[in-house]
Amino acid sequence: MKISLNWLNDYLTEEINYKNLVEKFNLMSQEVEGLYPLVDASKLIIGYVEKCENHENADKLKVCQVNVGDKTLQIICGAPNVDKGQKVIVALPGAVLPGNFKIKKAKIRDVISNGMICSLAELGVADFEKKETGIYVLDDNAEVGKDPLKYMGLDDQVLELDLTANRPDLLSMRGIAYDVKAMLDVEIKFNKPQVKRVKPEHEINIFTQTKDASVYYGQLIKDIKIKPSPYWLRSRLLASGIRPVNNVVDITNYVMLEYSQPLHAFDFKKLNSKKIIVRKANKNETIITLDEVKRKLLETDIVITDGEKPIAIAGVMGGFETEVDENTDSILLESAIFDPISVRKTSKRLALKSESSSRFEKGINHELTKEALDRACELLVEFADAKNCGGPSFFNNARKTNQQFELSFSKLKEVTGYDFEKNVVKEILDRLDFEYKLKDDIFVVNVPARRLGFESYQDIVEEIVRINGYDKIDLTLPITPTQGKLTKKQQFKRYLRTFFTGLGFYETNTYSLTDKTNATKYDLEKLSLVKIMNPITTDREYLRHSLIPALTDVLVYNKSRKINDILLFEIGRRYTFEEEVELISGLLHGRYNYSLWQKEYNNVDFYLAKGVIESLLRDLKLLDYDFRAPKQKLPNMHPGIVSEIFIGEEKIGWLGKIHPEVEKQLEVKDTYVFELELDKIFTPYQKINVNYQDIVKYPSVNRDIALVVDKDILAQDLIKTVKEISNNSLKTVDIFDVYQGDKLEENKKSIALSLIFENKEKTLETEEIDTMVNRIVNALTEKHKAKLRR
Amino acid sequence: MEKKINKLVEEALQELGKASKLNDLMVLKAKYLGKKSQFNDFMRELKDLPNNEKPKVGKLVNIGKNKINHKIEEMKEKIEADKINQKLKEETIDVTLPGKKIAQGKKHIFTQTIEEIEDIFVGLGYEIKEGPEIEEDKYNFEMLNLPKDHPARDMQDSLYISEEILLRTHTSPVQVRSLLENADKKPVKIISPGRVYRKDDDDQTHSHQFGQVEALVVDKKTSLSDLKGTLLLAAQKLFGEERQIRLRPSYFPFTEPSVEVDVSCYKCNGTGCSMCKNTGWIEILGAGMVNNNVLKACGYDPNEFQGFAIGFGVERIAMLRHGIDDIRLLYTNDLRFNSQF
Repeated sequence: MKISLNWLNDYLTEEINYKNLVEKFNLMSQEVEGLYPLVDASKLIIGYVEKCENHENADKLKVCQVNVGDKTLQIICGAPNVDKGQKVIVALPGAVLPGNFKIKKAKIRDVISNGMICSLAELGVADFEKKETGIYVLDDNAEVGKDPLKYMGLDDQVLELDLTANRPDLLSMRGIAYDVKAMLDVEIKFNKPQVKRVKPEHEINIFTQTKDASVYYGQLIKDIKIKPSPYWLRSRLLASGIRPVNNVVDITNYVMLEYSQPLHAFDFKKLNSKKIIVRKANKNETIITLDEVKRKLLETDIVITDGEKPIAIAGVMGGFETEVDENTDSILLESAIFDPISVRKTSKRLALKSESSSRFEKGINHELTKEALDRACELLVEFADAKNCGGPSFFNNARKTNQQFELSFSKLKEVTGYDFEKNVVKEILDRLDFEYKLKDDIFVVNVPARRLGFESYQDIVEEIVRINGYDKIDLTLPITPTQGKLTKKQQFKRYLRTFFTGLGFYETNTYSLTDKTNATKYDLEKLSLVKIMNPITTDREYLRHSLIPALTDVLVYNKSRKINDILLFEIGRRYTFEEEVELISGLLHGRYNYSLWQKEYNNVDFYLAKGVIESLLRDLKLLDYDFRAPKQKLPNMHPGIVSEIFIGEEKIGWLGKIHPEVEKQLEVKDTYVFELELDKIFTPYQKINVNYQDIVKYPSVNRDIALVVDKDILAQDLIKTVKEISNNSLKTVDIFDVYQGDKLEENKKSIALSLIFENKEKTLETEEIDTMVNRIVNALTEKHKAKLRR
Repeated sequence: MEKKINKLVEEALQELGKASKLNDLMVLKAKYLGKKSQFNDFMRELKDLPNNEKPKVGKLVNIGKNKINHKIEEMKEKIEADKINQKLKEETIDVTLPGKKIAQGKKHIFTQTIEEIEDIFVGLGYEIKEGPEIEEDKYNFEMLNLPKDHPARDMQDSLYISEEILLRTHTSPVQVRSLLENADKKPVKIISPGRVYRKDDDDQTHSHQFGQVEALVVDKKTSLSDLKGTLLLAAQKLFGEERQIRLRPSYFPFTEPSVEVDVSCYKCNGTGCSMCKNTGWIEILGAGMVNNNVLKACGYDPNEFQGFAIGFGVERIAMLRHGIDDIRLLYTNDLRFNSQF
């Protein structure tokens, strides 16, 4: 909301300090966006062009002798419309115009020019006049030597407020004045509009067929003359951010700004009847609105009709056919109240949001609907030569607003924690012009109709606190005795972040919404896909099923910026209609813990990715893990370098290398990714209970065996067999070498196992170990056709 | 005799002093103290001397032997020390060569900020509650005093999945759920961190996805001054112990009264600078006293209970604290950005 401070001053009985006003608005009411002059210019003066002759050295320039009161200045002017006998706006040497445009005494083609004759555009107010052809020519009443801005009413300051939705009262200048009164504790005054009414010649009949129009006043006004509005009115509209059009349109806007009551003028001669019927639109009904667009109406839209067809969409936009134009000489002026929700729905659907519609949406004070119309008549008589204002036809079904709330003094203190005094509260309610009675300890407050939307005593509390000042409220802390804590799961997530960052992974923060392809790119199962009905773009239309596409995007982004070694992880959600599943996903690319000059390149590979996950599961004591080749192909993954991860028989996720085709599309190579379901790690982890195991006192014994097996034998199967056949003296079994090559037959490989034996009760004898090793070798031979390599 | 001994000792000491290998020492030891050494000859000659001279010369011989032995030990230590020093010298490396590139990760500043806010409130006795991002209109709006077609819904343009289901626009539905599930109507003191979504085009200051941490306290006496005290504490923890706050009226449908909270500018200390647009204050968050309609909807009697709510914008706090001027940087994951925090 832009506020003309000249206008505000009309209502005030004393001068106010604008800086203080800004501060008070900020701390007690609404945020101030700015306070600035309507025209940011200095050293302007009204001049009279006494002489206007052609420039000797320039075709398009005129040399003017301009009387500015105490002297006559020679000014060069290039405007085509400059002429002698005009009263013009002169910027004197030293003047500064908007945009920090400095005016200096200058020589233009050998002729001295002492200033500039200004156009409206040069003053930053081109909209002041409908069309401008050059310099601005003032009317005859302008007084030479005086300040032109003052004469035109442009000597104004604009206070811009960022209004919150709960203060529709501040959409009117009168509402602003009331708030200023409460904040600054000053007096305000309003004049009742004076209208001389004559018996109307034409009686208009007004009916409604819908409850969604509660009040409708229609006033026939004849003998009007369409012309530009007076300077002051135009200036005030400009200050308020509304472009002046002509006197009738301007007056309806002016009254709307004054009362927050939208008005609409129909050209009476273009109406086909003397009847106004407000109703809901019929099926398939259409109207061409003021912007010359044909609009299809729904049965929920309120329309103003001439008894037959719509002539306006109520509260949203008038009809083109009944538009006021230059030839209009009589109007039907509407001041009405329509249902906020209906107007809101219609304006939203048609994308026609206007100053009027937004006021209807937020609610209109029915007590002023008639007065606003009177005010318009008053102005039309004065500025549109209206001669015939009959009594308005109307219906008025508005119910008296009952906004009575009881606020006990003790509740006020309890809610605010501030030790209010009764007198202070009374004074604040007086300043707000809220009627109240004090019954025992209870304030019974009647909130006036101009302050719509109060719901409970809480709103009264707010009013009292804001006018009293939030700075006065004490500083205490809640006494509620509760135990603060992170849940186990929240702690677990923090652990995961620490774990992965500790290993060198960067955490990413990516969007949940993506396009259809990326949403399902790594889906093995056909999970339900959640689609946004009203997406911002198709790139953000679906909720993702995997974080991997986002991670590969991050990889590509950074690769193209010459960052080559990239480890990423993110904890995020997979979304389906059924559930939101938390995932921990990661990506590995490039080198890991390397040293170039030492020739250690350490490119990441499948086993690094696997090692990371094994390390995590080991750290969590989830030793029952297993990496299995997937039974089904995982989409977009390398079919031979991929594994599903299990804890017990529960699949917790997968890891692998991205399919070469996908890598090609992304223009990256050798990228490994994993994705685990957080809950499937967290749940078994919750069951882990660590009991201390005695540290074995007896020495452990190491034996290495090398086996030759068929190429397709899995290492894991060998280890499984070793574990199965051994008693609990086998502490660990590990693989320390794998060889394929010339020294072996084709289709064979050698795998070397490192076995560590240990017994809690005694030192193991060599013979015992030999027996165990033999048993292991025999089992491997039997099960996997392994041969001991000598 | 005396002269000869002294000369020999001197000669031995001199020769030993030149030795540079342990082996040389052994040879010299044999030469001067061995069976065929001159000292041995002296010892033999000793018995031929007159008795009165014997002790004197014998002492002289012993002293001489001791001196030589001493020198041998000394030289042995020296040679060994030289050997070690030589070895250490050979092992000396160029310490200025670069170290191995140990991978080093970072938590995202988004997470760091959330965790910091969480920790402040956990310290004050708050529990952390989370909830779904796909939410019912009922919990996201209606029970928060935002009925359908309420103009204030414009403040939060939403992404809908169906008429009744949407991506939550704030974490307030978690508060509703927490109040509802608290069947015996005990006091509630929680914070709810999480991701939220709005139908906004992404630009320097807007993001269709962002993070919130909301705090809620509902109890019998929770007051506006409790809110103000909590806000000051949080602001000081996040922006520095010297910070002050100020409250300005605002509007959120779920709180009444509602306030915007400013913190005194941490760059200029409130004197006015470009950071605070010469106001001395920087807006950090919104808060307010819980609207009675919300309490009622959640089964709490407003005559008995009252409370406050605070809403932190995670990115806003992070951006203000670190001078980040574009919210998109928090979602781009340029590692040159992510690695800075």
